[in-house]
Amino acid sequence: MTDILVVDDSKVMRDMIIACLRAIPETSFVHASSGLEAIERLSLATFDMMVLDLNMPDIGGVEVLEFVRGQDTLRSLPVMIVTTRGDEQSRERVLQAGATSFLAKPFTPDAIIAEVRAILGGRAESVA
Amino acid sequence: MTATADLKEFIAAYLVEAEEHLAVANAQLLAVESAQRKGDTNPRAVRETFRSLHTIKGLSAMVGVEPVVAIAHRMETFLRDFDRSGAPLPLPAIDALLKGVRGIEQRVAALGRGDGAAMPSDELLAALDSLGFAAVSTAPPAAPLDLEPALLGKLAPFEIEQLIRGINAGKRALRAEFTPSPARAAEGMTINSVRERMAAVAEIVRVLPRAVPVSPGAPGGLCFVLLLLTSSTDQAIAEAVGIDVDTLHRLHREVEAPILAERGNVSPEMATSELEEDFSDAQSRRGVVRVEVSRLDEAMEGLSSLIVTRFRLARAVAALNKRGINTRELSEIMVDNARQLRDLRAAIVRVRMVPVGELLERVPLLVRGLRRATNRAVRLELEGGTAELDKSVSERLFPVIVHLVRNAVDHAIESPDERERRGKPEEGLLRITCGARSNTRLEITVTDDGRGIDRAAVARKAGRNTPNDNAGLLDLLCIPGLSTRDIVTTTSGRGMGMEIVKRTIVDELGGELEVSSELGKGTTFTLRVPLTISIVDAFSFECGEQRFVVPVAMVDEIIEVDSECLAQVPAQEDGGPTVDIISRRGVAVPMLQLAQIFRLAAAEKYGRKAIVVRRAGAPIAFAVDRMLGQQEVVIRPINDVLVRAPGISGATDLGDGRPTLVLDLVALSTSLNVRTGASRAQP
Amino acid sequence: MKLYVIFTLAGTEYALPVDAVLQMQSFTGATLVPGAPAYVAGIVTVRGLVVPVIDLRVRFGLPPAELTLDTRIIVTESEGRVVALRVDAAREVLKLDVDKHQPAPSVVSERASGFVHAVHALGTRLLLLMDLSKILGESSHDPARASLVDGTKARPQLPS
Repeated sequence: MTDILVVDDSKVMRDMIIACLRAIPETSFVHASSGLEAIERLSLATFDMMVLDLNMPDIGGVEVLEFVRGQDTLRSLPVMIVTTRGDEQSRERVLQAGATSFLAKPFTPDAIIAEVRAILGGRAESVA
Repeated sequence: MTATADLKEFIAAYLVEAEEHLAVANAQLLAVESAQRKGDTNPRAVRETFRSLHTIKGLSAMVGVEPVVAIAHRMETFLRDFDRSGAPLPLPAIDALLKGVRGIEQRVAALGRGDGAAMPSDELLAALDSLGFAAVSTAPPAAPLDLEPALLGKLAPFEIEQLIRGINAGKRALRAEFTPSPARAAEGMTINSVRERMAAVAEIVRVLPRAVPVSPGAPGGLCFVLLLLTSSTDQAIAEAVGIDVDTLHRLHREVEAPILAERGNVSPEMATSELEEDFSDAQSRRGVVRVEVSRLDEAMEGLSSLIVTRFRLARAVAALNKRGINTRELSEIMVDNARQLRDLRAAIVRVRMVPVGELLERVPLLVRGLRRATNRAVRLELEGGTAELDKSVSERLFPVIVHLVRNAVDHAIESPDERERRGKPEEGLLRITCGARSNTRLEITVTDDGRGIDRAAVARKAGRNTPNDNAGLLDLLCIPGLSTRDIVTTTSGRGMGMEIVKRTIVDELGGELEVSSELGKGTTFTLRVPLTISIVDAFSFECGEQRFVVPVAMVDEIIEVDSECLAQVPAQEDGGPTVDIISRRGVAVPMLQLAQIFRLAAAEKYGRKAIVVRRAGAPIAFAVDRMLGQQEVVIRPINDVLVRAPGISGATDLGDGRPTLVLDLVALSTSLNVRTGASRAQP
Repeated sequence: MKLYVIFTLAGTEYALPVDAVLQMQSFTGATLVPGAPAYVAGIVTVRGLVVPVIDLRVRFGLPPAELTLDTRIIVTESEGRVVALRVDAAREVLKLDVDKHQPAPSVVSERASGFVHAVHALGTRLLLLMDLSKILGESSHDPARASLVDGTKARPQLPS
């Protein structure tokens, strides 16, 4: 079973992301509605990857990412950033902050599935 | 069914969330404006506005509502600079931004009605484009805050300013720490709950995560730092939030001179000239309040206790009357009081009512999305009517309607080719009617002119005999776990999740569900539901082999009955029930045997558990056989005089299809005329 | 001519006008209501309404009967009240000529405490026509009278 943490303050967006990713067999999902909650959940349980929004209250996605990359246990956690800011500069910024991949909204179900499959596939190989 | 999700299905949820964000954007923009008119700034409100529009833009892009994306994008771009710099927004810009919000609102409303969202006018886009980038960045004020640089560096200038202002205004700036752990999470202590509780006793300026060495106390290697402004004491905060008092630290030394960033760009005189017309503008946004349903429930609960009090009052008046005292004036007051309580109850019920049109207004949008997804030609006929129904009924009903509509378009209505072959009009018909059937019930029909349900095929799939009537067909369709795929492919596609429809309509709402279907001609689902329901959180328990429930709100405590702690009170001559005294934490509490009161066959002389309620502040216990659980139940009224009895406030269905009595133990104890309190000595 | 639901009770056939009947259903038991009159078998849920069930045997002073597969409840509606009647069996709906109703012989109406207002001979069968409003009666049933504390009356039937 693959456990994915989906972080977005918009419930509709979380639901949409999960609806898309349900097509991937053997995955289960945990929601977090803020960056703080995401960090808390990551510190208390193990996940195979995180899908992370950038624009959230208290602390945004980049801050979550910076924090995660500063933690020994989480340094290698695959993180996919999902954001409306699709420009090259934003992409550069989040990849620099340590994102594994970057997906601009709006995305199609196929696009996000492909992106997540690529991340999970890569992980499976590196484990093997 | 394809494996790929259809994001169009999220349009209804999108509309709801978009409305919420629009409400935030409006309120925050008005807050920015009112602060700036006072020569002040409100960078937090600017940030909230920015975030709302950013979210609206992202969501709108996902569901393909381009006109909203076009407006929100421009507003977001403009606000981002001001969010970064913390500079005040120019007043004309606020005006343009409010117009932009209204433009989005209009489009969201149009989508909700099933009309398309029109592209924004050039005028609006030009107004938003011309906002430009006038933001001037300001240096953050020097901060006399006792905070390590790593954390201080994460604060926005306006957050530092907020702390300093708070200190200058005489508040204490504090830093609190919360360390999450699985054990705390199990107790419900998470950053979300801590944040929520903290907000009740302090103003939260910022919450930041901080990595700490992994230890037994911090198994996650994480702690959260909450920066606060408060007037409460450390003790009070620690208690309210449930954290140790030594995790709280002051952020500032003694305050010297007030430190304030000078930012008054607008003189008060200038502001007043514009104030009048803006006031009327703001007025138009008033008159409508969004209220959480839970607050209405609170009001209703308060009313319930008033009614219990009235009951006691009536008894007291009757007792006076019996003693030959003239109670005419009191009786008149009682009559008025009864009427007022009735009116108040009706008023609260009315507040919860929403027009049935609201329930249907999102259906056209849903059908349009489905039409595109399935390539079916479908004409939608809606007959809404003017009935009103309770919000909680409406909320439960909506997914059911979505379900029936989706099944009809996805599966029941044939493809245009097939329809042509069968000699049907190319365009399928989906008809939904909604009307009050009486003062208490609403009837909804969902009709399609599709292929109808093949009873024999459904029966084969379910491994049952072919039903010979519609009622039998409905039973088949509602068999839980009936493989949806089989049903979908071999029949008209009804059956998918029908058991959920039935559970909602019949078990939860206490309504009726009927189906009538003719092969080749079409299908009609008829739902009849009560216009109002009342839902409470309740304990279920067993007594004398019968199940009962009692609302949690009425229960003071549930205690074990230990025969060691019991004392029997000598039997009385007045024919009243036996009263025992049970010791609860050293206090004597009168205890009644529910089985005896209700004349039920009790398993043992004494029940093993007792439910303690308070009557006029004094505890009274009812012994029962055993507690079963706790759940939300829908209370149905018991109307007929034959079965109305004191202490019974209604009935509910615990899922077995049979009514279970809902008890009002306070009223029951009152009707029994048992004296409460620790002592039964002298009246 | 008028349609009637025919039901049996202790071997006797009764008729009830169809317009007073909402529906008939098999009976598997009701939830006892403490404090209700003895002839109330309890409550059931019908179309989402909580409805009292009158055990007609008890109401008519007949010995109680065990539940069988034939046991039915007839859900009636009159004067805005919805009440179910528990009967031994109910299978038929018949068209009866109203003009052929005869007043109930006094011995019948006495035995049935006025619940039967007419009889109808149909071939060799004798159908008793019920006065529904008399059976429901008690429109001013005072809950206080069916006191919970006073054990001499209003005791619900326990399941056998």
